[in-house]
Amino acid sequence: MFEHVLSVMIFLPIVAGLVLLLTPAGKGIARLTGGVISFAGLVLGIDIFFKFKNQGPLQFVENIPMIPSLGINYSLGIDGISLFILLAGAVLLPMVYLLFTTKSKGYYANLLIVQGAMAGAVCAADMILFYVFWEVMLLPVFFMLGLWGGESRIPATIKITIYTIAGSLLMLLGIIYTGVSYHAQFGEWSFNIVQMTQLQMAGPVAVLAFFGFMIAFAIKIPLFPFHTWLPDAYTEAPTATTFVLSAIMAKIGVYAVIRLVVPIFDGEFARYALLLAYSGVIGMMYCGITAIAQKDFKRMFAFSSASHMGVIALGVFCMNLQALTGSVFQIVAHATSTGVLFLFAGILEDRVKTRKIADLGGIAYTAPVFALFFAIAMLASVGLPGTSGFIGEFLIILGAIKFNVLIGVLAGTTLIIGVCYMLWMFQRVFFEKTKPASEGFKDLTLTEGLTFLPVILLIIFMGLYPQPFLEKIEPAAQLHLAAADAGKTIALADNTHALVQGSTVETQK
Amino acid sequence: MEHNVTFLGYIPILPLIGAAVLGLLHVGTCTRKPIHEKIYGVFACIGPLLSFVLALRVFFTLKGMPEEARYLTQEAFTWFQVGDLNISMGFLADPLSSLMLLFVTLIGSLIHIYSIGYMSGDKNFGKFFAYLNLFLGSMLVLVLGDSPVVMFVGWEGVGLCSYLLISFYCEDTDNVLAGNKAFIVNRIGDLGFVLGMGFLFWAIGAQGFDFMSLKANAHVLAPGVALTVCLLLFVGATGKSAQIPLYVWLPDAMAGPTPVSALIHAATMVTAGVYMVARFSFIYAHVPLAGEIVAWVGILTALLAAIFGMFQDDIKKVLAYSTVSQLGYMFAGVGVAAYSAGIFHVFTHAFFKALLFLGAGAVIYAMHHEQNIWKMGGLKKKMPKTYITMLIGALALAGCPPFAGFFSKDEILFSALATGHYGIWIVGVLVAGMTAYYTFRMIFVVFHGEPRDQEAYDHAHEAPAVMTVPLIILAVGALCAGFLNLPAIFGGHQQVSHWLAPSLTEHHPHASLFVEIIAIGASVLAFVIGIRAAYKRFGAGAEEPQFQGFAKFAYHKFYVDELYDAVFVQPYKRIGDAIRKTIEPSVTDGPVTLAAKVYMIAGAAFKVFQVGYVRVYALYMIIGLSVMSLLLSQSLN
Amino acid sequence: MIQSYLTVSVILFCLGIVGVISRRNVFTVFMSIELMLNAANLSFVALARLHESMDGHVLALMVMAVAAAEAALALAVVILLHKHKGKLDTNVFSLLKG
Repeated sequence: MFEHVLSVMIFLPIVAGLVLLLTPAGKGIARLTGGVISFAGLVLGIDIFFKFKNQGPLQFVENIPMIPSLGINYSLGIDGISLFILLAGAVLLPMVYLLFTTKSKGYYANLLIVQGAMAGAVCAADMILFYVFWEVMLLPVFFMLGLWGGESRIPATIKITIYTIAGSLLMLLGIIYTGVSYHAQFGEWSFNIVQMTQLQMAGPVAVLAFFGFMIAFAIKIPLFPFHTWLPDAYTEAPTATTFVLSAIMAKIGVYAVIRLVVPIFDGEFARYALLLAYSGVIGMMYCGITAIAQKDFKRMFAFSSASHMGVIALGVFCMNLQALTGSVFQIVAHATSTGVLFLFAGILEDRVKTRKIADLGGIAYTAPVFALFFAIAMLASVGLPGTSGFIGEFLIILGAIKFNVLIGVLAGTTLIIGVCYMLWMFQRVFFEKTKPASEGFKDLTLTEGLTFLPVILLIIFMGLYPQPFLEKIEPAAQLHLAAADAGKTIALADNTHALVQGSTVETQK
Repeated sequence: MEHNVTFLGYIPILPLIGAAVLGLLHVGTCTRKPIHEKIYGVFACIGPLLSFVLALRVFFTLKGMPEEARYLTQEAFTWFQVGDLNISMGFLADPLSSLMLLFVTLIGSLIHIYSIGYMSGDKNFGKFFAYLNLFLGSMLVLVLGDSPVVMFVGWEGVGLCSYLLISFYCEDTDNVLAGNKAFIVNRIGDLGFVLGMGFLFWAIGAQGFDFMSLKANAHVLAPGVALTVCLLLFVGATGKSAQIPLYVWLPDAMAGPTPVSALIHAATMVTAGVYMVARFSFIYAHVPLAGEIVAWVGILTALLAAIFGMFQDDIKKVLAYSTVSQLGYMFAGVGVAAYSAGIFHVFTHAFFKALLFLGAGAVIYAMHHEQNIWKMGGLKKKMPKTYITMLIGALALAGCPPFAGFFSKDEILFSALATGHYGIWIVGVLVAGMTAYYTFRMIFVVFHGEPRDQEAYDHAHEAPAVMTVPLIILAVGALCAGFLNLPAIFGGHQQVSHWLAPSLTEHHPHASLFVEIIAIGASVLAFVIGIRAAYKRFGAGAEEPQFQGFAKFAYHKFYVDELYDAVFVQPYKRIGDAIRKTIEPSVTDGPVTLAAKVYMIAGAAFKVFQVGYVRVYALYMIIGLSVMSLLLSQSLN
Repeated sequence: MIQSYLTVSVILFCLGIVGVISRRNVFTVFMSIELMLNAANLSFVALARLHESMDGHVLALMVMAVAAAEAALALAVVILLHKHKGKLDTNVFSLLKG
């Protein structure tokens, strides 16, 4: 059982979701099922966290041949980087089932499917398998956004779907090209991510393939200027979908850059790192500045999220240990803080029936618990020391200064830009005079409060004692940077070894 | 001697626990039946008082150590470690931080007690004390942090509390805006701090990023890097300590309750920048150019704020500008490498400025929240205790010998003169005169003459004991603190300077007796001229003046706020609006919508063929088949 | 001899095409389709005779069977269409118009 724990994490939700779709279950049963399954995911995730060893190579490896003639395998495995994205999903998703009760059966089924698919994309150690999960991930979002979204959901749905699929197709070309190159260089077919790192990529086609990958991920993250689908989609999507998109799916984009682009296209990556870093920094400033002008709080959070993703992506492009580790840590920190903020935005919208900041005011007087939790999440999002947001941002800025001084200084402005729009919003929503729409605003119920409490505590815990997380991330980050360096094969020998061992275990059975 | 101790951590943690307890109590009860104020008051004062006791213990432990090895450390746990970067949650108590600890916890405790009286009846009583405890905890982290990063935790923490407390009366938009301004301006400074830490780390941080390792490795810093680090850190200091160009937030910060102005915006938080520069004296001492810049920025801020202070009509604004001005002195002190003089001024200033603010609070309390000095007058008969204590504070601020402010300010001016910074000295003496003028302008207008608002005067009364007792204790401090660092010329031994010596990298300037006498004489002369000018104009009672020309310009603070608004704030908002309205839809999203449009046009073009009649589709099919068979037959031939 | 059969088959087929394209009554269109099927059948049978193979006959029978099945289905559709609109004019049924 235990050696298949990753498969269980992937397929338990997917199968449950499909079964729900096929049975005439009511929405109550659907919600219960979803809650139980995602809670099981949480338990498994915690189990994985404690069994995870602080080493670089992949762990919990599974390897089953799928199309042996083309070297396509069902291979899974996680390292310190994927572990935390997997955990972010496992920890955060159960909250959705506890908080929102009004949606129908299909909605919960789709949520389950997207949970499984995201776990799959994070755990996949084979490029084709990764691609499959990557695409499956989008489908439930399409349905959730298109069927249960806000008023102008249809254009938003079309935009996100076509935009991301266009990117994915470029990535598919890139995957095929790398597979073919592997065949040309080593005489056998393989799409294994670890073996791929031995590839020597050069020439104009490699650059094209590199950009194929990069554009696909840049759209998903999203990096400036590929972010334009985001405000519409985040604003129109139902809360849980926005939550999934911002808290986890966007991070899978960053993760994919670390996992697929950094080790394989090391040369191209190093060459274009400065360009990409500028894209991250400019995106951070651009989205942060426009966030202050938004009239709709959900849209403001959308731009805020995009702004932070720019910083996180920057951490990857800086190519040094502090920045990369900080980036992975910030992925988790941002998932908790911004994810929770989007959930709060959903609660706010449910209660006041409006998304206009100007219609609100004085919520803090009648809802102190809500205001307190909101403030903590907000402070984490602006990177206040003592909350999870600080560690990651600090490490990224530190790394950015080493990478390029100008980039470092520009990245530092996130400290100012973030605080500007957040305080401006907080003032108008929580302070000042109470407006009619927010009059008698109800505080969090006991269930809601207890749902948020663990995450709020996690935000503070991660800020005060991040070491248990960092020591799991660092070896994997080191390995990736070593792989990106010129003499990369040696460091990766272990990694390949782990996968090969995994496969022999499987074949003996 | 054992340097590792376990009680350092408790000093900041006790108030922080208090903050958590009070905050939870308040959040849990504020929408229902509130808890009795006494419970909050007791809980609120436990933490600061215990911290004060521990601070005394630290002080005496250090005193029992040999002079060159006076430090205590505590490493609680590894905070984060990535590659070479190794930050532990550690605390360091050396003479410098122990001095800060003593007065921060002492004045903090006194202001907590005072606030019980001042805030009574407020419906957010519990929230106030939760914030105040949180502030004290953060401030103690700032003081005790053993590395720049831990210091930064406190640094940002006090900034947060400052924001929360300025916007304490948050139903009023102006107060919240003042809070936002404080936080954002502080954040601009914090950017400098973070970048400075970054450069410092990549230069010498790999061998350890705590103050002791940094001090040991500081000599390998390249001059250019050292200058960059110094200036960036100083940007952080200008934000927190309200210096040019980031001083604008402090006068607005007076929107908060008066005890907050006393504790945070006068006595403790705003001096953090000076403390930080003194902490990094091992770098600043080797970069004279950076010191020069710090000193000039400081003294020019002192001058500017003194000019503004002479024309204000809000009692708290007068004190706020005097705070900015005194902070300028402190920076002038640390800038000319007289770190102990700067820190000593921090120490004395904490007493007399807290005293003045609390006295002003008592006046405002008595006048039912009236802050305009032109509505007061003749209050000395009604509030004798407040009058006498405030007079002591004012004399100390104005630099009257032998009050505390005289010795510390004189020490700074003397150091400037002795190290050859004549420009700084001349401006400093000028500012000393202006300080005496505006301080006594305030005292005369508020306490002397005839009542200007008879009804308010009739209702005015002396504050309760819970407020006057802290005033009296602080007055004793303002009276005596100066003697702790009595220079040799008055037969003293400069105990504070000697106490601080192991923590600071400074060389005491040696100057002749003649120079020393000139420095003292000039200060006293400036004080006398200033106080005389004030007495002439306001001593017998005066009416509210109508400002003309330069005075009007100064009354409006040289329109700096308006300038910043026009140059930074409005363009920022406008850029945001422009992006939202035009750039985002047309430029950034342009290619995407364009692609969609091209697709739509192509679809419209092809639509023509899609007529909807089955027989036409049949015709297309036949045409297609015919063309195919023609081509096929041709290719077969 | 075979040319005559094929000529007849082609003429029948063309008549069918013209019928499908030009007529608007659903039944006439349907009959024209049957005409085209039978044209094909005729050439199958003729060519089978020419090559002395049974394959053509098999195909012809096959086509007849399919045509019968198709007729059953198509007539049902026609009845539904009539119920729906009350007319059997193909111009009425233009849902696919872009």
